[in-house]
Amino acid sequence: MPDDIAEVYRNTYPALVRFLYRKVWDAERAADLAQEAFSRALVHRPQNTRGWLFVVAANMARDEARRAAREKRHLTLLKGEPDVVSSAPEDEIDADTQRTRVRAALEQLSPRDRESLLLWDAGMSYDEIAAQTGLARGAIGTTLARARRRLVEAYDAGLEGGEHVARG
Amino acid sequence: MSHVDEGTLHAYLDGELPSSERVALEAHLAQCATCRAGLEEERALRARASTLLGSVRPPERAIPPFEALRRAPRRSPWHVRTPFAWAASIALALGLGYYLRTPGAAGPATTNAPQPVIVAEDRAASGERQKASAPAATVSEGRRRAPVPRPTEQVAHVNQPGDSGAANVSLRDEAQAAQAKARIANAPESVAARLGRETLRLDAVTVTAQGEPAAAPTPARAERERAAARAPSVFIDGSVVQPLTAKTWPVIDRRVATLLLGDEAPVGLPGLSVRDFRRAPGNDGTIVVEQALDSSTVIQIFQRPASNAARPDSGYAFSRLFARFVGRLRVEIAGPVSVDSLNRLLEQVKPLP
Repeated sequence: MPDDIAEVYRNTYPALVRFLYRKVWDAERAADLAQEAFSRALVHRPQNTRGWLFVVAANMARDEARRAAREKRHLTLLKGEPDVVSSAPEDEIDADTQRTRVRAALEQLSPRDRESLLLWDAGMSYDEIAAQTGLARGAIGTTLARARRRLVEAYDAGLEGGEHVARG
Repeated sequence: MSHVDEGTLHAYLDGELPSSERVALEAHLAQCATCRAGLEEERALRARASTLLGSVRPPERAIPPFEALRRAPRRSPWHVRTPFAWAASIALALGLGYYLRTPGAAGPATTNAPQPVIVAEDRAASGERQKASAPAATVSEGRRRAPVPRPTEQVAHVNQPGDSGAANVSLRDEAQAAQAKARIANAPESVAARLGRETLRLDAVTVTAQGEPAAAPTPARAERERAAARAPSVFIDGSVVQPLTAKTWPVIDRRVATLLLGDEAPVGLPGLSVRDFRRAPGNDGTIVVEQALDSSTVIQIFQRPASNAARPDSGYAFSRLFARFVGRLRVEIAGPVSVDSLNRLLEQVKPLP
């Protein structure tokens, strides 16, 4: 019998938004995609709602990234718009910098390592991560160990390397 | 037991090591200083990684009500594509029309006449393809810079190199659609018959674009006519933006707008002046904020309390537009700019100061 989606929604929504946020790097977009994923779950009624949601969310984030790359050139259209970023207060700029650094570090990871780490951080068990990524359960520990090490190393290297790494 | 690998240590720290392995590991740790040191090292690494990830979380916000989801089945991505089916069928009809019109072109295998090239392009392909033909490329470049609705970015081309200069046909408006239809009508009878299905479709497209009045207007037809009455017609992702009239969407002041939204500040695009607030004909609490992007471009930001169900009789038929939640409001956006731009604009929507 399918899970109670309302229940899953309450328990999983924040984790799903967080998971998506670290893929699309936009809080509003992440929230939108999370809602979209749940809306689809209401239609599809999957057996394992939680696992299904993360698979769908990961796919949507990937599509989103592709679309974003394609649309980049269209954004010149909005250049005349008020620049939201420049009006951000100081602490938001700091948060921006930190986000850029962590994002750059995450991008140094292999896709599978990154996915495993983000899924773990979203509260998934090794079994769930294994099902999601296609890795053997016994390999998850090693994958996460490598992912964590690379994340920390890349982040520290970014701090030392200064702006040009962080910008990447 | 040899030294423990870091993967096992991480699984242990994560509480994911099967109990039999855990017992063995703990027994080993009790007598192996190297592995105990290793464990502490991995513990610190794990904490550090967790902190880094934790430093990039989206701002805390209330979970939107679950009930809001049920009413909001968002567009499937495929929806974007289907409106362009007609463009493909026009390209096919035109291509066949040109081709079969060529004297002596009885069949595809027997002709020596220049072969028509039928190109039904999408945006991704258009850039590269059009480099091959200068006039088309010019049109395309101009179009890309201008804030045009998406459907016109999908171009149906008919290239016929041998046909006295009329090499490129871009279907951009009803005039050209009609022209194209005339070309097909000029084809021999048998051709017209063979193209019956495509021609019919072309008729349908032309009617839609021109908004010709119908004898018995259905609601959908009436909507199309109203939309067509405003020039140029505006397409959002294939659907027509409804012009709002003072009669159906009364202008209200901001105080009333706030009341209708359940004491929430109306949302809009920061930095743009508000032209007006209007109230939906139904009583579902929907209001629209109209803001001018420039002198000729008005962006409509529809909003209602997320807790309110949209009433089918509210005259509010925008459920296919982009939507997101801002605070307790469900917000949708429409306007005569590209889908990409609408999406970006929607992201910038905030409570109006």
